[in-house]
Amino acid sequence: MSALRTGSRLPSLADALRGATILVVSAIIFFPVYWMIVSSIRPSAESLSFPPPLLPGSIEFSSYFQLFTEKPIARWLLLSTLVASLTVIGTLILVIPAAYALSRLYWRGRTAFGLLLLFTQMMPAAVVVAPVLALYRNLGWTDNLWALALLHTAFVVPLCAWVLKASFDAVPKEIVEAALIDGCDRWKVLWLVVLPLTRPGLVAVSVIAFFASWNEYLFASTLITRNDLYTASLGLATLMTQLDTPLFVLMAAGVTFSILPVLFYMAIQRHLLRGLTAGAVKG
Amino acid sequence: MAMASVLTQTTDRPSRTRRARRAGVVGSRAFPYLLILPMLALEAALVVYPILRGALFSLDTPAGLGLDNYRTMLVDPDFWRMIVHTLVFTLSVVVVILAIGLSLSLLMNWSFRGRGVVRSLLTVPWAIPEVPVAITFVLMLDPSFGVFNAFLRFFPGVTENPQWLLDPTLAMLVVIGATVWKGFPFYSLVLLSALQNVPTELYEAAKIDRAGRLAQFRYITLPSIRGTVALLAVLAFIYSTQQFTLIWLITGGGPVDATTTLAPAIYMQAFRFYNFSYAGAIAVVGFGISAVATLCFVLLQRRMETPE
Repeated sequence: MSALRTGSRLPSLADALRGATILVVSAIIFFPVYWMIVSSIRPSAESLSFPPPLLPGSIEFSSYFQLFTEKPIARWLLLSTLVASLTVIGTLILVIPAAYALSRLYWRGRTAFGLLLLFTQMMPAAVVVAPVLALYRNLGWTDNLWALALLHTAFVVPLCAWVLKASFDAVPKEIVEAALIDGCDRWKVLWLVVLPLTRPGLVAVSVIAFFASWNEYLFASTLITRNDLYTASLGLATLMTQLDTPLFVLMAAGVTFSILPVLFYMAIQRHLLRGLTAGAVKG
Repeated sequence: MAMASVLTQTTDRPSRTRRARRAGVVGSRAFPYLLILPMLALEAALVVYPILRGALFSLDTPAGLGLDNYRTMLVDPDFWRMIVHTLVFTLSVVVVILAIGLSLSLLMNWSFRGRGVVRSLLTVPWAIPEVPVAITFVLMLDPSFGVFNAFLRFFPGVTENPQWLLDPTLAMLVVIGATVWKGFPFYSLVLLSALQNVPTELYEAAKIDRAGRLAQFRYITLPSIRGTVALLAVLAFIYSTQQFTLIWLITGGGPVDATTTLAPAIYMQAFRFYNFSYAGAIAVVGFGISAVATLCFVLLQRRMETPE
């Protein structure tokens, strides 16, 4: 359809209408994001009046100043970064060999392993949250950020395995066969041939793992009880339920917490699409 | 274009003689198993084992091992209300998310200036973590100063701000709305790429045959993307059964239990009432639903690979 249209010079009425519709729809869709940002930079009185003005009367960043001076957000973000980084490391260690075995080796049980991954990927976290807490209590792993990262890893590796498998699949067979004939063994093929060719896939997997952990709330809220170990999603949820947090500070916290995931997800959008559909749909 | 699948074969298989000649672990039959072993161990310990242990909890009753929890559950009106809420929530999310996803992708399947920008903007709701999404929706719906009420006032007859989170029906609408808003970009982006994979020749041929826009949609577009839509319906179902954080932070499952779906119900039993054993029984139901949905996903995927 698109190819037919590019030929004409002047936009037709239908195209103009379509453009206008896209504009209106985008505005509606984007409105909550706009509102979150605007509420964080306008005077509080404006947000609390009704009807609230759509455009901010004046812009001030004092909410961000107040957020970073009065609330331990810097600490929360730091701990979230720590847990998320551990999750990325754990994920890469587990997922590189597994995705390689799924993509390029032939072995009995591969289909069963693929199915197991799919089942764990689709499983609601709530199904296991109580037994996981019981297990972690027995092991003395509650209030332990390393153990939280391990749990985040377990829940993100299935998705990451699909994303990386799709990257490995795209490496031409001929290159791998040539390396095998030249005397590389499979371990060397993986490290010297396949991995350097799949850097975008590795980046995508790292981003997915990082923000799966960064955004996660259910496990964090059940396994972490000490205030000084709060990650950002946990801290933010507490700010929300504490009624004494000024509204604009809460919104500033929301914006601060969202900036990184939004930027990175935009960058890896295509890879993510492919992985989330378990390779069934070309992204 | 061939659909790559979960279980695609891209195996590089060296000849038998080469394999026999190579010595050591790397060349051995055990090598693939060693590669997956760490991941398998972690999944077994932190996903499979807790599922089994949860199922065991559910059998552990004061009277010894037994099905008492399930008997209680089946006659518990709260359980059946939860099932109804879950069905209303998940089915609404699936239908609305696919309707919005499909119309948006049709709208965008056209080369226009700024399409890249619109695509990127679309990613934003999807990328924002659930906690800030919940905060923003609660702010927008606040009965005294929520901006959403200001928009609602444009409609004739609306003179009061509704109590969004205190009315059972409205609260359900809110959690459905928030879940759809956070999730739809994924569906429209996947559908957009499916639409772009429909061969242009088909449309050209249809134009020559003087088929109208509607006929083109009915006989070319729809059959080409039917498989993708079916897969996405299953994924949307799974996405909505997994939903916990948005519901929990926006309504807390309330008012009373009006928005308590599967995930909040399990959480509530385990951590509000400390009834791990009953929570385990509900979790088994959740496991069953999710397993059936995954099976549907696999079967649909298989069918898409084999050309009809």
